[in-house]
Amino acid sequence: MTGIIPTDALEPRGNEELPHEVAGTDVGTQFTADGSPAAGSAPDSGPTAPKKRRRSGLNVSPRFWVAIVLVAFVMLLAFVGPFVYPYGPNAAAGGLYDPPSAHHWLGTDNFGHDVLGVLIAGSRNSLFNGLLAGVIATTIGVFIGILAGYVGGWLEEALMGITNVVLAIPALIVLILISVSVQNSNISFMKGIVGLALVIGITSWPWTARAVRAQASSVATREHIDIAKLSGARLPSIMALDVFPYLASYIVMAFVLQVASAILAEASLSMLGLGPQGTNSLGIQLHWALAFQAMGSGAWWAFFPPTIILTLVSFALLLLQSSLDEVFNPRLRRGKKKAVKAAAARRAAAARRLASQPVPERATS
Amino acid sequence: MSDKILPRTTRRGFLTIAGLAVGGTAALSACGSSNTNSGTTSSGSSSGSTATMMGIGNNGQVGKGRSGALADTMFIAGFQWAPATNFNVFSPSPAWPAQLNVAQYMYETAMRFNIVTGELLPGLAKSYKVVGQTVTLTWQDNAQWSDGQACTAADFAYTYQLAKMDSSISFASMWNEVDSIDAPDAKTVVIKVNPTRKNTAVVLQNIAQNYVLPQHIWSGVIKSNPKLANYQTMQPIGSGPYTLDKADQTQVVLKLNPSYWGKDLYGGLPTMNQIIHPIFKSNEDGNLQFQNGQLDVMQQFVPQIWKMWEGGKPVGTYLKQKPYYVPGSIPMFFMNTTKPGLSDPAVRKAMAWAIDYASISETAMSGYSGQVLASLILPTGAESKWIDQAKAEADGWKYDPAKAEQILKDAGYTKGSDGIYAKGGVRLGQWKLITPTGWTDWNAALTICAKNFKSIGIDAVTYFPQVADCTNQIQTGTFDCACWYVAGTSPATPWQRFSDVMTNVNLPAVGTAAFSNFGRWKNGQIDGMLQTAAAAPDDASKKTALQALDDLYRAHIPALPLMYRPDEFYEYNATNFYNWADEKNNYAPPMFRGAGNTWIYKIKKIGA
Repeated sequence: MTGIIPTDALEPRGNEELPHEVAGTDVGTQFTADGSPAAGSAPDSGPTAPKKRRRSGLNVSPRFWVAIVLVAFVMLLAFVGPFVYPYGPNAAAGGLYDPPSAHHWLGTDNFGHDVLGVLIAGSRNSLFNGLLAGVIATTIGVFIGILAGYVGGWLEEALMGITNVVLAIPALIVLILISVSVQNSNISFMKGIVGLALVIGITSWPWTARAVRAQASSVATREHIDIAKLSGARLPSIMALDVFPYLASYIVMAFVLQVASAILAEASLSMLGLGPQGTNSLGIQLHWALAFQAMGSGAWWAFFPPTIILTLVSFALLLLQSSLDEVFNPRLRRGKKKAVKAAAARRAAAARRLASQPVPERATS
Repeated sequence: MSDKILPRTTRRGFLTIAGLAVGGTAALSACGSSNTNSGTTSSGSSSGSTATMMGIGNNGQVGKGRSGALADTMFIAGFQWAPATNFNVFSPSPAWPAQLNVAQYMYETAMRFNIVTGELLPGLAKSYKVVGQTVTLTWQDNAQWSDGQACTAADFAYTYQLAKMDSSISFASMWNEVDSIDAPDAKTVVIKVNPTRKNTAVVLQNIAQNYVLPQHIWSGVIKSNPKLANYQTMQPIGSGPYTLDKADQTQVVLKLNPSYWGKDLYGGLPTMNQIIHPIFKSNEDGNLQFQNGQLDVMQQFVPQIWKMWEGGKPVGTYLKQKPYYVPGSIPMFFMNTTKPGLSDPAVRKAMAWAIDYASISETAMSGYSGQVLASLILPTGAESKWIDQAKAEADGWKYDPAKAEQILKDAGYTKGSDGIYAKGGVRLGQWKLITPTGWTDWNAALTICAKNFKSIGIDAVTYFPQVADCTNQIQTGTFDCACWYVAGTSPATPWQRFSDVMTNVNLPAVGTAAFSNFGRWKNGQIDGMLQTAAAAPDDASKKTALQALDDLYRAHIPALPLMYRPDEFYEYNATNFYNWADEKNNYAPPMFRGAGNTWIYKIKKIGA
């Protein structure tokens, strides 16, 4: 193929607190995701340095771990639950709104199905819907954004014109219209969760496209793009190999947000009774709880569990996004004053150490 | 080298907060449940000597009565959901109680139907007589309109003259069955039944359901409004015990007419001098007010109504055991027999065996349905004398998925790789099961059906469009399967139900609206058999004819009974009144319409 992969393409911008390695000096150095050299690849550092460096180098806040634990909990419920919990979502397990018992931990719903069984199936479908819709929306958004941002000119005007038009139409109304006509159609494949995920995916890409375009047009002015052009790289190759990596951190965050909003969009639609039919999801569970007056009959177990899972998932994903944002953008980090002080002290200490034991072969940039 | 970019206290602090949040949610849900329990158990009101009182809560409780300005007011709900703007009985959506065939508080009918006994009780007419193909009504002596003018047999005859002048009103269907309606004198109505159709049952049904309207008002109305549906009025004149006091966005208020003509017929005036129908936004609002005794009686679907009296509320239903309500209609599962696959009786039979009727009854209908038989005749109440229950059980169907699959296999269907049966290129599905959105019990019933069908290898999916769209699809025959209503118990059922489900008379092509036999099932025998049953001269031959129809129905299964439903949900709260009609205190049927007006004269004020 064409093009040179610039080594610095792998290095994220703005990670100012870490010493820059000069490109080319350490050809064999493997970089970890945050740009710090992997353990064992810097033999010239002090014997204890790599270990500490790696731990601090992850730069993730406790918020990140809370988010990961919450997401893992819901994933576990959704994907391991079916193998552990004996009741499926379609088995008639009891009567209308039986209260929680030793057999049915969260009671039964309006169909007499086990609420936990339905919750497990619903969480799985909601997560699946979120991931699929997130992938679709992010893919479309990133492609259009990079194309517009990098190429510029009339193509940018046209693509952003379309994006703005789509952005101006209220997404929920478009979703409702499309899903109603899908449900009324005879395309059976589109009526389930997959169909809804497709619909959500192809309606929620615009803001990603706009944000990515802004980033891409800034990347387009960098020097390495010129190098790539000079070396004869073609447009797709430059977009994929020279522009995309610089946006990767942003795209990951955008993807997480897309997943969260797709899960909520499905829940809103299904709760209105406009979602997929003949399947389970958290929104459908809420729809039936509302329709059968769970609130009025005191059947809290019919609407609390899906509400809590929805809240947890969207909270966890937003938390994940903001903690990732902190990782990628140090200016946003929490505990800033203390951290800045600590970092200043550390730098001063390192400077003192360097001054006292000069290392001639290590060049600083 | 200490490397504290992020202070540990922050992490601990955050986790503590997160822990508190999760714990708080749990605590919240826990206290939600305890609130519910304590709320329902502790606030149960009870008072005094309930031993001698009849028609009280199913738990034997009564309330303390209401005092103050609204002490003699009855609050009712479940009939009016939109702002009350027009009391013209022929408007597309008249306000309560001007809607056809609702409680006879403002307008009255000539005879009143009792859904439990099947009798026709006196109303504006003292009695009726059927001799051959002539129906004769004898009018009440002192009947009067609320403006003081006399109400006579001539008003009855004129009411149907209106339907001749404007044939778009619903009363016009009477003229399909009769040749003439005359009032030879003020006390007599003579109706000549159409000698070829001989359907006196439907004539009696019209007499029991259609209001009698004052000629001196409507003769002016028809002059200014040739299309009666366009007439607007907020000053309705009827013959009933109440007149319209006021109506707006929030309520309809009826006040007692102290000079009501029917004092002698009913043994006095109604107990309450005012009836208020608050207009709620949702079922739930009404159910909550009913539970708290702010509503005295209503016609609303309450899931698990027994929780109200188990929680100490003086709430009662007609039947003291499940199904609590007297069945009065059979929501039908219509299958469009013009669609490939559904046209095969074997497939329809397999579907009949595939549905979990008990689950529909227990969950979608909250246990108010009871066991559904393979028959178009209701096994209880007014229709029970016509059914052959043993035969319905022997020749019918019940929930048995294995048997359903066997029927398909025997009929030559084979299961494809997608798990769906097919024969000769005809795949069973995907069929859309439709019913209007928001009709929650039917939505839930079809959801259960779709799962049942899928589990035996018939591809089905639910779809709940708006009412107008759904009605259109069902009437024009473009639907696959639908849950829809047919005639509720009346003087004309079960014949009317057979006709609604199976008649081939004037069966229109797909695309043109049909008003019966929505499945467009075709059969050569049915019309003759329906005619025989309608014209049967005595009960014995009528029973034979109806059972022959039921046999034909079971052989071809053009539609399936999904559940039994009360004609009206009759439930009361004995907080302010007692002596409500129930199975022990059965002086009146559990109705609002027809003979259901009897109890407004008999209920008694608590503490009075």
